[in-house]
Amino acid sequence: MHEFKKGRFNLSGDSVKDNFDLLTQALDSSISGIIITDNNQRDNPIVYCNNAFELISGYRRNEIIGHNCRFLQADDRDQPARAILAESISKGVECKVEIRNYRKNGDLFWNELFMAPVRDEKGAISHFIGVQNDVTERKKTEHDLRQQKLLMEQKIVERTSALKESEAFLTSIIETMREGLLVLDPNFVVLSANYHFLRTFKVNLEDTLGKNLYALGNNQWDIPQLKELLVKILPTNNPVVDFEVEHDFPHIGKKLMLLNAYRVELEGQFKDQILLAIEDITEKREIERRKDDFLSIASHELKTPLTTIKGFMQVLERSVPKDASEKFLSTLSKVSTNVDRLNNLIGELLDVSKIQTGNITLHKSNFDFDKMVMDAVDAMQSSTNTHKIIVQGKTNAVVEADESHIIQVLNNLLSNAVKYAPDGGNILVEINNVSEYVKLSVKDDGLGMNAEDAKRVFERFYRSSEIQKHFPGMGIGLYICDQIIKNHKGTLWVESEKGKGSTFSFTLPKGGSEDE
Amino acid sequence: MNRKKILICDDDAGIMDLMEIILDEQGYHVIAEMDSLKVKLLIEKECPDLVVLDLWMPVLSGDMILQTIRGMPTFKNLPVVAVSASNEGRKIAMAAGATAFVAKPFDIDHLLEVIARPLDYC
Repeated sequence: MHEFKKGRFNLSGDSVKDNFDLLTQALDSSISGIIITDNNQRDNPIVYCNNAFELISGYRRNEIIGHNCRFLQADDRDQPARAILAESISKGVECKVEIRNYRKNGDLFWNELFMAPVRDEKGAISHFIGVQNDVTERKKTEHDLRQQKLLMEQKIVERTSALKESEAFLTSIIETMREGLLVLDPNFVVLSANYHFLRTFKVNLEDTLGKNLYALGNNQWDIPQLKELLVKILPTNNPVVDFEVEHDFPHIGKKLMLLNAYRVELEGQFKDQILLAIEDITEKREIERRKDDFLSIASHELKTPLTTIKGFMQVLERSVPKDASEKFLSTLSKVSTNVDRLNNLIGELLDVSKIQTGNITLHKSNFDFDKMVMDAVDAMQSSTNTHKIIVQGKTNAVVEADESHIIQVLNNLLSNAVKYAPDGGNILVEINNVSEYVKLSVKDDGLGMNAEDAKRVFERFYRSSEIQKHFPGMGIGLYICDQIIKNHKGTLWVESEKGKGSTFSFTLPKGGSEDE
Repeated sequence: MNRKKILICDDDAGIMDLMEIILDEQGYHVIAEMDSLKVKLLIEKECPDLVVLDLWMPVLSGDMILQTIRGMPTFKNLPVVAVSASNEGRKIAMAAGATAFVAKPFDIDHLLEVIARPLDYC
């Protein structure tokens, strides 16, 4: 008690005891748990604890005094903080650790322990003082924060790699596609160019990026038609769709290009960029042309011997002896029919090829629709004894169309009506005016067809399996008819029921289609 | 009777054979020539009443011969019937100045009718 005598603890109390009580009360008011252990006794027993320590640990004072501090660690001995504590105790120095402790009810709490030695006059350590704070909440928050940060970092890594992956995916698509692709800024400066563009136009990336499109490769892209189109894109958002440009490039020669250009938009942003896709169709066109040439030559060469055969057949027919047998006559007629069939097939093949390459050219003229119908019907009637073709109605219309094509359609519909009504009967051809169109229907009482066939009958090479069995053919006649009527901006359709015959109808604008 | 003289030129032997037979049958005097290069000389020498000309022939095509004929003052009105198996035949023939066009394969009666038409006026 010499400290008190020295006056260091000379508080306002009247006696040493008063002052001591005051200090004890102060210790009990602290929210930090405080203990004192006696270093002079074996195993450093706790000789003092304040109220807060009881609160933090959940033990009563009588359960605390006399124990070593380690009783708070329960069985959780494998903690790095223990080693620090042990070392500080043996060296007799202060330390601060965070250590897992357990309340009396077994709940874990994080104890922030500050430990300091107390030395006597000789400098020997007489006591240790431990100040404890329950930092469980803080630790939990810290832990949660750390977890969240980890999770976040992981997510960022995942997202970044997903982004990289999708970027690599897109890049690989852009670089692999066989179409030149440029991104331009509002001044037509190239922001990006893909590999195919560089390859097709024999340029390198350094000479392309950051350069004005029109200045590329010694102004070889200075194409007036292209300029005119691109200028309109940004202000009007009018895309350029499948625009064909032929241009003679100084280094790579004449190229036929198909251009598509769009304003780049992403959620309202990047509106100031133009995506320009350039397809080099020079070779494709050339192949199409060669195919057409081949087919015309082939068809010409096939028709030449056919002309001779047909001619000699006619010579034979003229010189049939009066007493010729029925068999002889029917054989002659069958050869003749098949020569005509062969001739039609050759013509159809050429037609299909032209339709596919879009090379059908319409030679329009004004003609008397009713007369055209009558002539075609008369010609068909003269070739069939089994069917009667009846024309109903009148249009009195002069139609502007490709007459030979329309005759081809009508002949096809009439011959189908004859063919698919094998039991003979009437074929009704009806013609009317419908608004600015003429309408023609061919109705037969033949086999008819089911809904599935009716839907697909205008497809190229489509043959209903049943029809194919009895009437072999290529399945292109109606396809050609459909294409011809479409080229004239009309429509061709069928109404049919199985066993009840079919009605094929088409409409044709009288004035021709304006835009051609 | 004054037989009309018809010059026919086609590079296909079968068709030449056929046309010779049917035209001869009709009582025409037929001169057949397969070599397109000789047509012009033959016309000048034989002065035919009508020429039947195939369009698609090697060396000189029918339309080239036709243009040559139309450029000769004596023969600029000579009836020429062009025949062809080509789909563009009619257009080419008419542009070159043919009197008529018949598509191959043809109907004999139709061909004879087309040939007879201009000769009737002569």
